[in-house]
Amino acid sequence: MTRAPFRPAIAGLIAHFTFVEAVRQRVPQVLLLGSAGLVLGIQGLREFNFGLSELKFIADLGFGAMVFFGSILAIILATQLFLGEIEERTAPTVLAKAVGRTEFVVGKFLGVAGVLALFSAAVTGLIAAMLYAREIALLRERPDLLVQGGPVRYADIAAVGFGHMLRFGVLAALSLLVASWARTKLHAVMTSFGLLVIGDLQSVAQEAYAGAGSLPMRVFMAVVALLVPDLQVFDLGDLAGTDGIPAHMVLRAAGYALCCIVAAGALAAFGFQRREL
Amino acid sequence: MTSVAAISIAGLTKDFAIGLRGTRLRAVDRLSLRIGQGEVFGLMGPNGSGKSTTIKLILDLIPATAGQCLIFGVPHDQVAARAMVGYLPESPQLHRHLTGRELVRFHGGLGGLTGRRLASRVEEVISRVGLGQAADRRLDTYSKGMLQRAGLAQAIMHHPRLVILDEPAAGMDPAGSDDIRNLVLGLKAEGRTVVIVSHQLEQMEDVCDRMAILDRGRLVWEGSREDLIGADGRCTLEVDPLSADQLAELRRWLGERGKTFREIGSPRSRLAEIFRRQTMSAQTMQRSPE
Repeated sequence: MTRAPFRPAIAGLIAHFTFVEAVRQRVPQVLLLGSAGLVLGIQGLREFNFGLSELKFIADLGFGAMVFFGSILAIILATQLFLGEIEERTAPTVLAKAVGRTEFVVGKFLGVAGVLALFSAAVTGLIAAMLYAREIALLRERPDLLVQGGPVRYADIAAVGFGHMLRFGVLAALSLLVASWARTKLHAVMTSFGLLVIGDLQSVAQEAYAGAGSLPMRVFMAVVALLVPDLQVFDLGDLAGTDGIPAHMVLRAAGYALCCIVAAGALAAFGFQRREL
Repeated sequence: MTSVAAISIAGLTKDFAIGLRGTRLRAVDRLSLRIGQGEVFGLMGPNGSGKSTTIKLILDLIPATAGQCLIFGVPHDQVAARAMVGYLPESPQLHRHLTGRELVRFHGGLGGLTGRRLASRVEEVISRVGLGQAADRRLDTYSKGMLQRAGLAQAIMHHPRLVILDEPAAGMDPAGSDDIRNLVLGLKAEGRTVVIVSHQLEQMEDVCDRMAILDRGRLVWEGSREDLIGADGRCTLEVDPLSADQLAELRRWLGERGKTFREIGSPRSRLAEIFRRQTMSAQTMQRSPE
Protein backbone atom coordinates (compact mmCIF):
# COMPACT_ATOMS: atom_id res chain seq x y z
CA MET A 1 0.00 0.00 0.00
CA THR A 2 2.63 2.51 1.09
CA ARG A 3 6.03 2.49 -0.50
CA ALA A 4 8.78 4.11 1.54
CA PRO A 5 12.10 3.22 3.10
CA PHE A 6 11.97 2.33 6.78
CA ARG A 7 13.00 5.31 8.96
CA PRO A 8 14.26 4.35 12.43
CA ALA A 9 13.77 7.93 13.70
CA ILE A 10 10.01 7.79 13.06
CA ALA A 11 9.73 4.34 14.64
CA GLY A 12 11.76 5.65 17.58
CA LEU A 13 9.46 8.64 18.00
CA ILE A 14 6.38 6.41 17.98
CA ALA A 15 8.12 4.08 20.45
CA HIS A 16 8.92 6.99 22.76
CA PHE A 17 5.36 8.30 22.89
CA THR A 18 3.94 4.76 23.10
CA PHE A 19 6.14 4.23 26.14
CA VAL A 20 5.05 7.52 27.73
CA GLU A 21 1.41 6.69 27.12
CA ALA A 22 1.80 3.13 28.39
CA VAL A 23 3.41 3.98 31.71
CA ARG A 24 0.55 6.41 32.42
CA GLN A 25 -2.08 3.74 31.96
CA ARG A 26 -3.58 1.86 34.86
CA VAL A 27 -2.87 -1.65 33.58
CA PRO A 28 0.95 -1.57 33.84
CA GLN A 29 0.80 0.26 37.15
CA VAL A 30 -1.63 -2.25 38.65
CA LEU A 31 0.29 -5.26 37.33
CA LEU A 32 3.62 -3.89 38.55
CA LEU A 33 2.11 -3.24 41.97
CA GLY A 34 0.52 -6.68 41.99
CA SER A 35 3.80 -8.30 41.10
CA ALA A 36 5.76 -6.25 43.63
CA GLY A 37 3.13 -6.96 46.27
CA LEU A 38 3.38 -10.69 45.71
CA VAL A 39 7.18 -10.63 45.78
CA LEU A 40 7.19 -8.59 48.99
CA GLY A 41 4.49 -10.85 50.42
CA ILE A 42 6.96 -13.74 50.34
CA GLN A 43 8.60 -12.18 53.38
CA GLY A 44 5.51 -13.10 55.32
CA LEU A 45 6.32 -16.76 54.77
CA ARG A 46 9.59 -16.45 56.69
CA GLU A 47 7.90 -17.83 59.76
CA PHE A 48 8.15 -21.28 58.21
CA ASN A 49 11.95 -21.04 58.45
CA PHE A 50 13.04 -23.04 55.41
CA GLY A 51 16.71 -22.40 56.09
CA LEU A 52 18.86 -22.23 52.97
CA SER A 53 16.15 -23.51 50.65
CA GLU A 54 14.21 -20.39 51.59
CA LEU A 55 16.36 -18.42 49.17
CA LYS A 56 15.43 -20.70 46.30
CA PHE A 57 11.81 -20.47 47.43
CA ILE A 58 11.94 -16.66 47.36
CA ALA A 59 13.50 -16.69 43.90
CA ASP A 60 11.05 -19.26 42.50
CA LEU A 61 7.97 -17.59 43.91
CA GLY A 62 9.21 -14.12 42.95
CA PHE A 63 9.92 -15.11 39.37
CA GLY A 64 6.64 -17.04 39.26
CA ALA A 65 4.83 -13.81 40.13
CA MET A 66 6.89 -11.96 37.55
CA VAL A 67 6.01 -14.45 34.80
CA PHE A 68 2.33 -14.41 35.73
CA PHE A 69 1.91 -10.64 35.82
CA GLY A 70 4.44 -9.95 33.08
CA SER A 71 2.71 -12.31 30.63
CA ILE A 72 -0.62 -10.60 31.26
CA LEU A 73 1.06 -7.22 30.86
CA ALA A 74 2.74 -8.18 27.57
CA ILE A 75 -0.50 -9.38 26.00
CA ILE A 76 -2.78 -6.64 27.28
CA LEU A 77 -0.37 -3.80 26.63
CA ALA A 78 0.50 -4.88 23.10
CA THR A 79 -3.16 -5.36 22.25
CA GLN A 80 -4.26 -2.11 23.89
CA LEU A 81 -1.55 0.05 22.39
CA PHE A 82 -1.91 -1.36 18.90
CA LEU A 83 -5.44 -2.58 18.32
CA GLY A 84 -6.74 -0.02 20.81
CA GLU A 85 -5.37 2.71 18.54
CA ILE A 86 -7.37 1.32 15.65
CA GLU A 87 -10.54 0.69 17.66
CA GLU A 88 -10.41 4.07 19.36
CA ARG A 89 -9.49 5.75 16.07
CA THR A 90 -6.28 7.40 17.19
CA ALA A 91 -4.25 5.59 14.51
CA PRO A 92 -5.62 7.58 11.53
CA THR A 93 -4.18 10.86 12.81
CA VAL A 94 -0.74 9.23 12.92
CA LEU A 95 -0.98 7.22 9.71
CA ALA A 96 -2.40 10.15 7.74
CA LYS A 97 1.03 11.72 8.15
CA ALA A 98 4.27 10.67 6.54
CA VAL A 99 4.40 7.49 8.58
CA GLY A 100 4.87 4.05 7.04
CA ARG A 101 2.83 1.25 8.47
CA THR A 102 5.95 -0.81 9.17
CA GLU A 103 7.34 2.14 11.14
CA PHE A 104 4.09 2.25 13.08
CA VAL A 105 4.19 -1.47 13.95
CA VAL A 106 7.87 -1.38 14.89
CA GLY A 107 7.38 1.78 16.97
CA LYS A 108 4.47 0.25 18.82
CA PHE A 109 6.46 -2.90 19.55
CA LEU A 110 9.48 -1.00 20.80
CA GLY A 111 7.32 1.16 23.06
CA VAL A 112 5.68 -1.90 24.59
CA ALA A 113 9.07 -3.65 24.84
CA GLY A 114 10.40 -0.64 26.76
CA VAL A 115 7.64 -0.95 29.34
CA LEU A 116 8.21 -4.71 29.61
CA ALA A 117 11.95 -4.17 30.08
CA LEU A 118 11.23 -1.65 32.82
CA PHE A 119 8.80 -4.05 34.47
CA SER A 120 11.30 -6.92 34.27
CA ALA A 121 14.14 -4.81 35.64
CA ALA A 122 12.01 -3.51 38.51
CA VAL A 123 10.71 -6.92 39.60
CA THR A 124 14.09 -8.63 39.14
CA GLY A 125 15.70 -5.86 41.17
CA LEU A 126 13.11 -6.32 43.89
CA ILE A 127 13.67 -10.07 43.99
CA ALA A 128 17.44 -9.53 44.15
CA ALA A 129 17.03 -7.02 46.98
CA MET A 130 14.87 -9.44 48.94
CA LEU A 131 17.32 -12.26 48.38
CA TYR A 132 20.18 -10.04 49.48
CA ALA A 133 18.42 -9.02 52.68
CA ARG A 134 17.63 -12.64 53.52
CA GLU A 135 21.08 -13.80 52.52
CA ILE A 136 22.68 -11.35 54.97
CA ALA A 137 20.45 -12.64 57.73
CA LEU A 138 21.30 -16.23 56.89
CA LEU A 139 25.02 -15.53 56.72
CA ARG A 140 24.85 -14.14 60.21
CA GLU A 141 23.46 -17.47 61.35
CA ARG A 142 25.83 -19.59 59.17
CA PRO A 143 29.05 -17.72 58.32
CA ASP A 144 30.52 -20.91 56.77
CA LEU A 145 28.36 -20.32 53.66
CA LEU A 146 30.43 -17.25 52.88
CA VAL A 147 33.47 -19.43 52.18
CA GLN A 148 31.63 -20.88 49.16
CA GLY A 149 31.01 -17.40 47.79
CA GLY A 150 27.60 -16.95 49.35
CA PRO A 151 24.41 -18.91 48.67
CA VAL A 152 22.95 -16.52 46.03
CA ARG A 153 24.44 -16.09 42.54
CA TYR A 154 23.22 -12.69 41.47
CA ALA A 155 24.43 -13.13 37.91
CA ASP A 156 22.00 -16.04 37.66
CA ILE A 157 19.20 -13.93 39.11
CA ALA A 158 19.89 -11.30 36.45
CA ALA A 159 20.01 -13.99 33.76
CA VAL A 160 16.67 -15.46 34.84
CA GLY A 161 15.12 -11.97 34.87
CA PHE A 162 16.59 -11.34 31.42
CA GLY A 163 15.14 -14.64 30.18
CA HIS A 164 11.68 -13.66 31.37
CA MET A 165 12.05 -10.28 29.74
CA LEU A 166 12.78 -12.05 26.45
CA ARG A 167 9.71 -14.17 26.98
CA PHE A 168 7.57 -11.05 27.46
CA GLY A 169 9.05 -9.55 24.33
CA VAL A 170 8.14 -12.62 22.28
CA LEU A 171 4.65 -12.62 23.77
CA ALA A 172 4.21 -8.94 22.92
CA ALA A 173 5.32 -9.58 19.33
CA LEU A 174 2.86 -12.49 19.05
CA SER A 175 0.08 -10.31 20.47
CA LEU A 176 0.95 -7.62 17.96
CA LEU A 177 0.74 -10.19 15.17
CA VAL A 178 -2.68 -11.31 16.39
CA ALA A 179 -3.83 -7.70 16.81
CA SER A 180 -2.77 -6.86 13.25
CA TRP A 181 -5.69 -8.91 11.90
CA ALA A 182 -8.06 -9.28 14.88
CA ARG A 183 -11.22 -7.17 14.81
CA THR A 184 -11.74 -6.68 18.54
CA LYS A 185 -9.49 -6.38 21.56
CA LEU A 186 -11.27 -9.28 23.28
CA HIS A 187 -10.62 -11.50 20.27
CA ALA A 188 -6.96 -10.51 20.19
CA VAL A 189 -6.45 -10.99 23.94
CA MET A 190 -8.14 -14.41 24.00
CA THR A 191 -6.14 -15.63 21.00
CA SER A 192 -2.91 -14.35 22.51
CA PHE A 193 -3.60 -16.14 25.78
CA GLY A 194 -4.25 -19.29 23.74
CA LEU A 195 -0.82 -18.90 22.14
CA LEU A 196 0.69 -18.35 25.59
CA VAL A 197 -0.73 -21.67 26.82
CA ILE A 198 0.39 -23.52 23.68
CA GLY A 199 3.84 -21.94 23.92
CA ASP A 200 4.20 -22.91 27.56
CA LEU A 201 3.02 -26.49 27.14
CA GLN A 202 4.73 -27.11 23.84
CA SER A 203 7.97 -28.55 25.15
CA VAL A 204 6.09 -30.93 27.46
CA ALA A 205 3.93 -32.11 24.56
CA GLN A 206 6.96 -32.46 22.30
CA GLU A 207 8.63 -34.71 24.84
CA ALA A 208 5.49 -36.78 25.34
CA TYR A 209 4.86 -37.36 21.64
CA ALA A 210 8.42 -37.46 20.36
CA GLY A 211 8.86 -41.18 20.83
CA ALA A 212 5.44 -42.62 21.51
CA GLY A 213 3.14 -40.49 19.32
CA SER A 214 1.73 -41.55 15.95
CA LEU A 215 3.12 -40.06 12.74
CA PRO A 216 0.22 -37.60 12.25
CA MET A 217 0.59 -36.44 15.83
CA ARG A 218 4.33 -35.93 15.40
CA VAL A 219 3.74 -34.00 12.19
CA PHE A 220 1.12 -31.90 13.99
CA MET A 221 3.53 -31.18 16.84
CA ALA A 222 6.23 -30.22 14.36
CA VAL A 223 3.85 -27.76 12.72
CA VAL A 224 2.88 -26.31 16.10
CA ALA A 225 6.56 -25.97 16.98
CA LEU A 226 7.08 -24.08 13.75
CA LEU A 227 4.17 -21.70 14.29
CA VAL A 228 4.27 -21.07 18.05
CA PRO A 229 7.50 -20.31 19.92
CA ASP A 230 8.52 -22.60 22.74
CA LEU A 231 8.29 -20.27 25.73
CA GLN A 232 10.04 -22.72 28.06
CA VAL A 233 13.29 -21.82 26.31
CA PHE A 234 13.24 -18.56 28.27
CA ASP A 235 12.98 -20.22 31.67
CA LEU A 236 16.70 -20.05 32.30
CA GLY A 237 16.38 -20.90 36.00
CA ASP A 238 15.95 -24.56 35.03
CA LEU A 239 19.40 -24.54 33.41
CA ALA A 240 21.33 -23.47 36.52
CA GLY A 241 24.03 -26.04 37.26
CA THR A 242 26.78 -25.97 39.84
CA ASP A 243 28.55 -23.27 37.82
CA GLY A 244 25.45 -21.22 37.30
CA ILE A 245 23.56 -20.56 34.08
CA PRO A 246 25.84 -21.08 31.06
CA ALA A 247 26.36 -17.88 29.08
CA HIS A 248 25.80 -19.66 25.79
CA MET A 249 22.31 -20.70 26.94
CA VAL A 250 21.48 -17.06 27.65
CA LEU A 251 22.74 -16.09 24.21
CA ARG A 252 20.80 -18.95 22.65
CA ALA A 253 17.60 -17.76 24.34
CA ALA A 254 18.30 -14.18 23.19
CA GLY A 255 18.89 -15.35 19.62
CA TYR A 256 15.75 -17.44 19.64
CA ALA A 257 13.74 -14.48 21.02
CA LEU A 258 15.15 -12.18 18.36
CA CYS A 259 14.19 -14.63 15.58
CA CYS A 260 10.66 -15.00 16.99
CA ILE A 261 10.21 -11.24 17.41
CA VAL A 262 11.49 -10.44 13.92
CA ALA A 263 9.31 -13.14 12.34
CA ALA A 264 6.17 -12.12 14.26
CA GLY A 265 6.87 -8.42 13.71
CA ALA A 266 7.42 -8.89 9.97
CA LEU A 267 4.16 -10.85 9.66
CA ALA A 268 2.33 -8.20 11.72
CA ALA A 269 3.70 -5.39 9.53
CA PHE A 270 2.83 -7.32 6.37
CA GLY A 271 -0.70 -8.02 7.57
CA PHE A 272 -1.19 -4.42 8.64
CA GLN A 273 -0.22 -2.92 5.28
CA ARG A 274 -3.67 -3.25 3.75
CA ARG A 275 -5.75 -3.03 6.87
CA GLU A 276 -8.62 -0.55 6.56
CA LEU A 277 -8.59 2.13 9.23
CA MET B 1 0.96 27.31 -17.28
CA THR B 2 -1.34 24.85 -15.53
CA SER B 3 -0.33 24.35 -11.91
CA VAL B 4 -0.39 20.90 -10.36
CA ALA B 5 -3.65 20.27 -8.52
CA ALA B 6 -3.55 19.89 -4.77
CA ILE B 7 -5.79 16.86 -5.17
CA SER B 8 -6.51 15.17 -8.44
CA ILE B 9 -8.90 12.22 -8.33
CA ALA B 10 -9.91 10.14 -11.33
CA GLY B 11 -12.50 7.36 -11.27
CA LEU B 12 -12.01 6.71 -7.56
CA THR B 13 -14.18 3.81 -6.46
CA LYS B 14 -14.55 1.99 -3.18
CA ASP B 15 -16.57 -1.17 -2.62
CA PHE B 16 -17.00 -2.64 0.83
CA ALA B 17 -17.78 -6.32 1.33
CA ILE B 18 -20.74 -6.68 3.68
CA GLY B 19 -21.76 -9.78 5.62
CA LEU B 20 -20.66 -13.38 5.26
CA ARG B 21 -21.63 -13.53 1.62
CA GLY B 22 -19.43 -10.57 0.89
CA THR B 23 -22.18 -8.51 -0.72
CA ARG B 24 -20.61 -5.47 -2.35
CA LEU B 25 -21.62 -2.05 -1.14
CA ARG B 26 -20.32 0.82 -3.27
CA ALA B 27 -19.41 3.71 -0.99
CA VAL B 28 -17.63 5.85 -3.58
CA ASP B 29 -18.60 5.55 -7.21
CA ARG B 30 -16.18 6.61 -9.96
CA LEU B 31 -15.46 9.93 -8.33
CA SER B 32 -13.41 12.43 -10.30
CA LEU B 33 -12.43 15.73 -8.76
CA ARG B 34 -9.76 18.37 -9.07
CA ILE B 35 -8.97 20.70 -6.21
CA GLY B 36 -6.62 23.52 -7.10
CA GLN B 37 -3.74 24.80 -4.99
CA GLY B 38 -4.70 27.49 -2.49
CA GLU B 39 -8.41 26.74 -2.70
CA VAL B 40 -10.75 26.27 0.22
CA PHE B 41 -12.89 23.39 -0.97
CA GLY B 42 -16.06 22.17 0.72
CA LEU B 43 -17.20 18.57 0.47
CA MET B 44 -20.85 18.19 1.39
CA GLY B 45 -23.48 15.50 1.36
CA PRO B 46 -25.95 13.69 3.57
CA ASN B 47 -24.91 10.97 6.01
CA GLY B 48 -23.60 7.93 4.19
CA SER B 49 -22.92 9.86 1.00
CA GLY B 50 -19.26 8.79 1.00
CA LYS B 51 -17.58 11.99 2.18
CA SER B 52 -15.47 10.47 4.95
CA THR B 53 -14.70 7.40 2.83
CA THR B 54 -13.43 9.71 0.09
CA ILE B 55 -11.15 11.44 2.58
CA LYS B 56 -9.86 8.10 3.87
CA LEU B 57 -9.17 7.01 0.32
CA ILE B 58 -7.26 10.22 -0.36
CA LEU B 59 -5.19 9.65 2.78
CA ASP B 60 -4.59 6.01 1.92
CA LEU B 61 -6.18 4.89 5.17
CA ILE B 62 -8.26 2.46 3.15
CA PRO B 63 -7.32 0.94 -0.22
CA ALA B 64 -9.32 1.97 -3.27
CA THR B 65 -11.13 -0.61 -5.38
CA ALA B 66 -10.35 1.37 -8.53
CA GLY B 67 -9.21 4.77 -9.69
CA GLN B 68 -6.29 6.95 -8.87
CA CYS B 69 -5.52 9.89 -6.65
CA LEU B 70 -2.61 12.32 -6.75
CA ILE B 71 -1.66 14.79 -4.05
CA PHE B 72 0.37 17.65 -5.55
CA GLY B 73 1.18 15.25 -8.36
CA VAL B 74 2.43 12.48 -6.08
CA PRO B 75 0.50 9.18 -5.88
CA HIS B 76 -1.45 9.25 -2.62
CA ASP B 77 -0.14 5.87 -1.44
CA GLN B 78 3.37 7.23 -1.14
CA VAL B 79 4.59 8.55 2.19
CA ALA B 80 5.93 11.64 0.38
CA ALA B 81 2.36 12.58 -0.57
CA ARG B 82 1.13 12.40 3.00
CA ALA B 83 4.05 14.49 4.21
CA MET B 84 2.23 17.40 2.58
CA VAL B 85 -1.09 16.71 4.29
CA GLY B 86 -2.56 17.60 7.67
CA TYR B 87 -5.72 15.80 8.70
CA LEU B 88 -8.32 16.46 11.34
CA PRO B 89 -10.68 13.46 11.57
CA GLU B 90 -14.31 13.80 12.54
CA SER B 91 -14.62 13.88 16.36
CA PRO B 92 -10.88 13.31 16.72
CA GLN B 93 -9.87 10.58 19.13
CA LEU B 94 -6.44 11.54 20.36
CA HIS B 95 -3.88 9.89 22.62
CA ARG B 96 -5.68 10.71 25.85
CA HIS B 97 -2.79 9.89 28.18
CA LEU B 98 -0.63 12.58 26.61
CA THR B 99 -0.89 16.28 27.39
CA GLY B 100 -1.90 18.70 24.66
CA ARG B 101 1.69 19.90 24.36
CA GLU B 102 3.06 16.36 24.13
CA LEU B 103 0.54 15.49 21.44
CA VAL B 104 1.46 18.50 19.35
CA ARG B 105 5.14 17.79 19.85
CA PHE B 106 4.66 14.17 18.81
CA HIS B 107 2.90 15.12 15.59
CA GLY B 108 5.48 17.80 14.87
CA GLY B 109 8.16 15.13 15.18
CA LEU B 110 6.24 12.86 12.81
CA GLY B 111 6.15 15.78 10.40
CA GLY B 112 9.95 15.98 10.48
CA LEU B 113 10.42 18.93 12.85
CA THR B 114 13.21 18.69 15.39
CA GLY B 115 15.09 20.76 17.97
CA ARG B 116 14.41 24.49 18.22
CA ARG B 117 12.18 24.56 15.15
CA LEU B 118 9.96 21.98 16.79
CA ALA B 119 9.91 23.78 20.15
CA SER B 120 9.02 27.16 18.66
CA ARG B 121 6.41 25.64 16.33
CA VAL B 122 4.77 23.88 19.30
CA GLU B 123 4.31 27.19 21.09
CA GLU B 124 3.12 28.92 17.93
CA VAL B 125 0.48 26.29 17.14
CA ILE B 126 -0.74 26.01 20.73
CA SER B 127 -1.33 29.73 20.72
CA ARG B 128 -2.89 29.73 17.25
CA VAL B 129 -5.55 27.12 18.04
CA GLY B 130 -6.25 28.60 21.47
CA LEU B 131 -5.11 25.71 23.66
CA GLY B 132 -3.31 28.10 26.00
CA GLN B 133 -3.18 27.02 29.62
CA ALA B 134 -4.80 23.67 28.83
CA ALA B 135 -1.75 22.60 26.83
CA ASP B 136 -0.13 21.02 29.87
CA ARG B 137 -3.20 19.09 30.90
CA ARG B 138 -3.77 15.54 29.79
CA LEU B 139 -6.20 15.12 26.92
CA ASP B 140 -8.53 12.91 28.96
CA THR B 141 -9.45 16.04 30.93
CA TYR B 142 -10.36 18.06 27.80
CA SER B 143 -13.86 19.06 26.73
CA LYS B 144 -15.03 18.16 23.23
CA GLY B 145 -14.25 21.64 21.97
CA MET B 146 -10.74 21.56 23.44
CA LEU B 147 -10.13 18.15 21.88
CA GLN B 148 -11.15 19.63 18.55
CA ARG B 149 -8.59 22.40 19.03
CA ALA B 150 -5.90 19.84 19.92
CA GLY B 151 -6.90 17.89 16.82
CA LEU B 152 -6.51 21.02 14.73
CA ALA B 153 -3.11 21.68 16.27
CA GLN B 154 -1.78 18.27 15.28
CA ALA B 155 -3.19 18.73 11.79
CA ILE B 156 -1.36 21.99 11.04
CA MET B 157 1.76 21.36 13.13
CA HIS B 158 4.09 20.39 10.28
CA HIS B 159 3.16 23.25 7.89
CA PRO B 160 1.16 21.02 5.53
CA ARG B 161 0.41 22.35 2.05
CA LEU B 162 -2.97 20.62 2.17
CA VAL B 163 -5.17 20.58 5.27
CA ILE B 164 -8.18 18.25 5.37
CA LEU B 165 -10.72 19.03 8.07
CA ASP B 166 -13.56 16.59 8.67
CA GLU B 167 -16.37 18.40 10.51
CA PRO B 168 -13.95 20.89 12.08
CA ALA B 169 -16.57 22.83 14.03
CA ALA B 170 -18.26 19.78 15.56
CA GLY B 171 -18.55 20.23 19.31
CA MET B 172 -17.48 23.88 19.15
CA ASP B 173 -19.45 26.77 20.58
CA PRO B 174 -20.11 29.74 18.25
CA ALA B 175 -16.91 31.48 19.36
CA GLY B 176 -15.01 28.28 18.62
CA SER B 177 -16.67 28.06 15.22
CA ASP B 178 -15.49 31.60 14.53
CA ASP B 179 -11.97 30.58 15.52
CA ILE B 180 -12.11 27.69 13.06
CA ARG B 181 -13.36 30.01 10.35
CA ASN B 182 -10.54 32.44 11.04
CA LEU B 183 -8.02 29.62 11.10
CA VAL B 184 -9.22 28.38 7.72
CA LEU B 185 -9.04 31.89 6.28
CA GLY B 186 -5.56 32.26 7.78
CA LEU B 187 -4.44 29.02 6.14
CA LYS B 188 -5.88 30.24 2.85
CA ALA B 189 -4.01 33.53 3.22
CA GLU B 190 -0.80 31.53 3.66
CA GLY B 191 -1.52 29.86 0.34
CA ARG B 192 -2.45 26.48 1.76
CA THR B 193 -5.18 24.34 0.31
CA VAL B 194 -7.99 23.46 2.70
CA VAL B 195 -10.62 20.77 2.22
CA ILE B 196 -13.55 20.96 4.63
CA VAL B 197 -16.05 18.17 5.08
CA SER B 198 -19.04 19.50 6.94
CA HIS B 199 -22.77 19.39 7.50
CA GLN B 200 -22.77 22.98 8.66
CA LEU B 201 -23.63 24.44 5.31
CA GLU B 202 -23.66 28.08 6.42
CA GLN B 203 -20.03 27.76 7.43
CA MET B 204 -19.15 26.29 4.06
CA GLU B 205 -20.78 29.20 2.30
CA ASP B 206 -18.71 31.61 4.36
CA VAL B 207 -15.27 30.23 3.70
CA CYS B 208 -15.28 27.91 0.70
CA ASP B 209 -14.20 29.01 -2.76
CA ARG B 210 -15.62 25.91 -4.35
CA MET B 211 -17.86 23.13 -3.16
CA ALA B 212 -18.98 19.67 -4.19
CA ILE B 213 -21.98 17.65 -3.13
CA LEU B 214 -21.81 13.87 -2.90
CA ASP B 215 -24.81 11.60 -2.78
CA ARG B 216 -24.59 7.82 -2.51
CA GLY B 217 -20.95 7.97 -3.44
CA ARG B 218 -21.45 10.02 -6.57
CA LEU B 219 -20.58 13.59 -7.32
CA VAL B 220 -23.90 15.30 -7.94
CA TRP B 221 -22.85 18.95 -7.99
CA GLU B 222 -19.63 20.89 -8.11
CA GLY B 223 -19.11 24.61 -8.44
CA SER B 224 -17.97 27.88 -6.97
CA ARG B 225 -19.58 29.74 -4.08
CA GLU B 226 -21.09 32.18 -6.55
CA ASP B 227 -22.57 29.28 -8.54
CA LEU B 228 -24.19 27.91 -5.41
CA ILE B 229 -25.56 31.16 -4.11
CA GLY B 230 -26.98 32.17 -7.47
CA ALA B 231 -28.18 28.67 -8.28
CA ASP B 232 -31.80 29.13 -7.16
CA GLY B 233 -32.09 32.76 -8.31
CA ARG B 234 -32.95 34.07 -4.85
CA CYS B 235 -31.38 36.74 -2.72
CA THR B 236 -31.55 37.67 0.96
CA LEU B 237 -32.21 41.19 2.19
CA GLU B 238 -31.45 41.93 5.84
CA VAL B 239 -33.10 45.04 7.36
CA ASP B 240 -33.92 46.51 10.76
CA PRO B 241 -37.23 45.37 12.30
CA LEU B 242 -40.27 46.38 10.22
CA SER B 243 -43.72 47.37 11.42
CA ALA B 244 -46.77 45.63 9.93
CA ASP B 245 -47.45 48.67 7.73
CA GLN B 246 -43.91 48.80 6.48
CA LEU B 247 -43.98 45.10 5.74
CA ALA B 248 -47.21 45.44 3.79
CA GLU B 249 -45.70 48.32 1.85
CA LEU B 250 -42.60 46.27 1.05
CA ARG B 251 -44.74 43.37 -0.20
CA ARG B 252 -46.72 45.74 -2.40
CA TRP B 253 -43.57 47.36 -3.74
CA LEU B 254 -42.06 43.98 -4.63
CA GLY B 255 -45.31 42.77 -6.14
CA GLU B 256 -45.47 45.78 -8.43
CA ARG B 257 -42.05 44.80 -9.75
CA GLY B 258 -42.94 41.15 -10.34
CA LYS B 259 -40.97 39.81 -7.37
CA THR B 260 -42.28 37.28 -4.86
CA PHE B 261 -41.82 37.85 -1.15
CA ARG B 262 -40.94 34.32 0.04
CA GLU B 263 -39.97 34.37 3.68
CA ILE B 264 -39.77 36.59 6.72
CA GLY B 265 -37.98 35.72 9.96
CA SER B 266 -34.93 36.34 12.09
CA PRO B 267 -31.59 35.80 10.43
CA ARG B 268 -30.24 32.32 11.15
CA SER B 269 -27.09 33.67 12.72
CA ARG B 270 -29.02 35.76 15.27
CA LEU B 271 -28.84 33.21 18.07
CA ALA B 272 -25.12 32.71 17.53
CA GLU B 273 -24.59 36.47 17.65
CA ILE B 274 -26.54 36.77 20.91
CA PHE B 275 -24.55 33.88 22.34
CA ARG B 276 -21.28 35.56 21.38
CA ARG B 277 -22.34 38.93 22.73
CA GLN B 278 -23.53 37.47 26.04
CA THR B 279 -20.51 35.25 26.60
CA MET B 280 -18.14 38.05 25.70
CA SER B 281 -19.81 40.41 28.20
CA ALA B 282 -19.68 37.67 30.85
CA GLN B 283 -15.96 37.26 30.21
CA THR B 284 -15.47 41.01 30.46
CA MET B 285 -17.30 41.07 33.80
CA GLN B 286 -15.14 38.22 35.08
CA ARG B 287 -12.01 40.14 34.20
CA SER B 288 -13.20 43.33 35.98
CA PRO B 289 -15.04 42.32 39.17
CA GLU B 290 -15.84 45.99 39.96
